[in-house]
Amino acid sequence: MSPRAAVYLRNFAGIGAVLAVWEGLATFGWINATLLPGPTQIFWTAIDLLRDGTLLRHVAASLERVCVGFLIAAFTGLTLGVLLGWFRPLADLAKPVVEALRPIPPIAWTPIAILWFGIGNAPSYFLVFIGAVFPVFVNTFAAVRNIDRNQINAALCLGAGPRLLIVDILLPASLPIIFPGLRIALGVGWMCVVAAELVAAQSGLGYMIQTSRMLLQTNYVVAGMITIGAIGFAMDAAMSRIERRLTPWQEAVKSA
Amino acid sequence: MSATALLSVDRVVKEFPVRGSARVQRVLDGISLDIVKGEFVVLLGPSGCGKSTLLNLIAGFMRATAGRVLHAGGEVLSPDQRRTVVFQDYALFSWMTIQRNVEFGLKAKGVPEAERAKIAAEFIALVRLTGFENRYPYEVSGGMKQRAALARAMAPNPDVVLMDEPFGALDAQTRVLLQEEVARIVAQTGKTVLFVTHSIDEAVFLADRVVVMSAHPGRIRRIYAVDLPRPRTARTRALPEFIALTQELWESLKPEWQLEDIAAAPN
Repeated sequence: MSPRAAVYLRNFAGIGAVLAVWEGLATFGWINATLLPGPTQIFWTAIDLLRDGTLLRHVAASLERVCVGFLIAAFTGLTLGVLLGWFRPLADLAKPVVEALRPIPPIAWTPIAILWFGIGNAPSYFLVFIGAVFPVFVNTFAAVRNIDRNQINAALCLGAGPRLLIVDILLPASLPIIFPGLRIALGVGWMCVVAAELVAAQSGLGYMIQTSRMLLQTNYVVAGMITIGAIGFAMDAAMSRIERRLTPWQEAVKSA
Repeated sequence: MSATALLSVDRVVKEFPVRGSARVQRVLDGISLDIVKGEFVVLLGPSGCGKSTLLNLIAGFMRATAGRVLHAGGEVLSPDQRRTVVFQDYALFSWMTIQRNVEFGLKAKGVPEAERAKIAAEFIALVRLTGFENRYPYEVSGGMKQRAALARAMAPNPDVVLMDEPFGALDAQTRVLLQEEVARIVAQTGKTVLFVTHSIDEAVFLADRVVVMSAHPGRIRRIYAVDLPRPRTARTRALPEFIALTQELWESLKPEWQLEDIAAAPN
């Protein structure tokens, strides 16, 4: 067996062991099945939810919200990061405002988001935006500030005009710092959308687990939680793949 | 100032503001220097003599406080393709393969893609990097990076190549090898070169003229003509004239270098 296969085997054995113990505890009644159903029961619940379309409907609602909020945040964060990174006086002006808002946890914005936007998609967009905009901004700002002066000079003496300088030099030079910011932002955005849906929406995975709690349908709650985790994992994995595709020259730096 | 000069540095003064005070520090003080086409000129001096600053002024990366730099009679106000630079830290574009790096100046010129690839291949062959075109800079050694940077600087056919301590980050053996490579390439192409170094034998080995500078403020102390035969090869270092000139330069620079050394020592 190759070392790689051995790693995978151990990974699955770890998860398998937890599931087996959990299933055992549930089967023999050592844990209250109302508070925590066993894995097989949750699996069948998830299948039911998939069959009748409930799960997909909620997943679609949550994904739509996280995408909209994330896109607005990415656009704002990139623009702000580039502007403040490039023009120092502007940074002196705006940086304190940004730094004052940044430590407020996105969840703490929920009450005011409901006051401003009511219940529905808007407060979710807003909370995702609040959660995602800062990681994008911080990394973009750092990327622009840390651009290697020599590389810009090299491009200039080789005759690069503004377009070539931005497209071929500034953007790719900043990408290895900007992209991890986008990836973190999407992760935070996903957490925010679930938090927002717990109180400020009438669809989505957060809404689904919250209403299931009120009906004491713990199996729905846990199935929802696992779906949330799986989608978060998948989004992060997709982002790392895209990152590796976009910045192949970063491989050496990372593995070193 | 001579009318035939390709590059003219005319009574150039450069001052930098001293951080945290209203004072300025004069880094270059009344530098005048003419470089003619096809010449290999080396700026030699201790650290702090402003040799790299002078190169940056000639490249157009910064402007002189007083005086001016002329290229073919026109004042240098910003960097342009007629003066390309080879940097000490290579400054290769790490997101481009060596091929793309070498093509960059041609792309900026608007050369069509097929022709670009052809010209780049010639220069990659000239610096003996054929076979490494599709590698990224991180995949090759320091010496190869600098070869690539040299090919990148030469591909757009500039009037002059400016080299700012290009071998400063390389180990001693690689350094000697690359000195011989540069001598060969310049002999082959007849390029005009301005080369900055603090290594005496590098200066003598490569130069037609060695411009010796002194520090605080940076001034030209003396210009030595180097009459060693070309092409310069490994055998050049064994010539009595080579040894005599490096000795002479060492003796003349020693007092200032010793002062630098004492100034740099921790108390």
